[in-house]
Amino acid sequence: MFRDAPALRLRGLTKRYDDGTVALQDFDLEIPSGAFFGLLGPNGAGKTTLISAVCNLIRVTSGELRVFGEPHDSVTARSWVGLAEQDINLDRFLNVRETLVYHGGYFGMGREEAERRAEEMIEAFGLQGKRDTRAPRLSGGQRRRLLLARALMHRPRLVILDEPTASVDFELRQELWRYIRALHAEGTTILLTTHYLEEAEELCEEIALIRDGHLIARDSAEGLRDHFGVDRLTDVYVKAMASAASTRLGRVRPDRL
Amino acid sequence: MTGLVWLCKRETLRVSKLWTQTVLAPVISSILFILVFGLSLGGRIRQVSDVDYEVFIVPGLITMGMVQAAYANNASSIFQARFDRYIHDVLSAPMRPWQVTLGYTVGGIFRALAIGASLLVLSLVLVDVPVERPFALVAAVGLGLVLFSALGVVVGIYAETWDHTTFIANIVILPLSFVGGVFYSIDVLPAPWEELSHFNPIFYLVQGVRFGFLGESDVSIWLSLGVTAALALPVYGWSQWLFTTGRRLKA
Repeated sequence: MFRDAPALRLRGLTKRYDDGTVALQDFDLEIPSGAFFGLLGPNGAGKTTLISAVCNLIRVTSGELRVFGEPHDSVTARSWVGLAEQDINLDRFLNVRETLVYHGGYFGMGREEAERRAEEMIEAFGLQGKRDTRAPRLSGGQRRRLLLARALMHRPRLVILDEPTASVDFELRQELWRYIRALHAEGTTILLTTHYLEEAEELCEEIALIRDGHLIARDSAEGLRDHFGVDRLTDVYVKAMASAASTRLGRVRPDRL
Repeated sequence: MTGLVWLCKRETLRVSKLWTQTVLAPVISSILFILVFGLSLGGRIRQVSDVDYEVFIVPGLITMGMVQAAYANNASSIFQARFDRYIHDVLSAPMRPWQVTLGYTVGGIFRALAIGASLLVLSLVLVDVPVERPFALVAAVGLGLVLFSALGVVVGIYAETWDHTTFIANIVILPLSFVGGVFYSIDVLPAPWEELSHFNPIFYLVQGVRFGFLGESDVSIWLSLGVTAALALPVYGWSQWLFTTGRRLKA
């Protein structure tokens, strides 16, 4: 099942918040196993809602979500997903090593394995000097690295990165790109949301544009440029969003692009 | 089960790291109660129910220290995790809701037991308090800690500000502890205060723990255990329901 099933399959996903806001409406999406997939859209488009739904952080109104063929809320599917959220949400009582080891433990790793893996991640993310430092005492860049290290700690098959380079400097962004590329080269499926179009173009094999909870276009960066008859992804974005906004439902039929 | 073990470890690690706040401070305040109320008033109030006053108040004071700690620990731990959103690390993990509920409950129980054990040792040294019915003591303490640890979890999930968590501690638990027969036997109370004491859930817990220590109490041990269990089970069930449904935890 794992070999053939898509990394992520959403069917008719709808999320209506308690205040009546519909963040996702009858949303379908399929991401192949091993893909590097980008999700682009303005604030409020539904990107974080989609990610939160996959990671069981919100209650879904209706629809089906499967991770490598398993229901997203099953114990198995959860163990396959690693999430680095946009906001820094590190446990203030734990130091760097503990943050990683405890995360590994929550995701089913034994002590020895978790300790060993934590040391690997500390080294990979250049946090050796901060091993015993608690999260609130880390710099912004170190926290961001720790956040990514935590998401990768349990060797997830699907890594979800919600604007991982938001508010980070150029050097750290390049560094994070290198980590993410290496991860993808090892066969990990990556779902990336970002506001940086050059980041999506640089990293992602396929990009989906969403707005107001609807998928409005999906293709490779090159395919999107061809569809819209423009030279830059920025222009694709502007055109697609303008078209979506001008329709009553805020939606462009992807098959008509 | 691995996730549950690690969540329990995390919750107890927090207590250990902050031991001066989580254990030492409540032990000192309870010991001060024993010294100030027991040893000073003990000269004026010789005995209550044939027991020296300084011995009589120890079970109630230990109960009071433990239930406040069990509640406060879990309410603050969960609220902090929600406030900083690192609870997402647990909510997205491959753990079943009953494991998450139990893991978060354990922290409060661990902290309360650390306080209770410290107070017991100090009480043995200071006033030579007996332990007449150890099984009854274990049952009463166990049920009481489940009740107040689970209450802490529930309030930590519902709270929207730190004030909400301290409100329950200061306006509900502390006053009910003071009028729950910690410092006196309700036999000495005039009507209607004696009757009203029977509506105070902490009164039954204090009586159960006192029976465990002294072998006697104002009401039957079975009534004490029954009332505490009748409250502990639904409150624990409530916390379990919150983690199962995701209400208040997930938008």
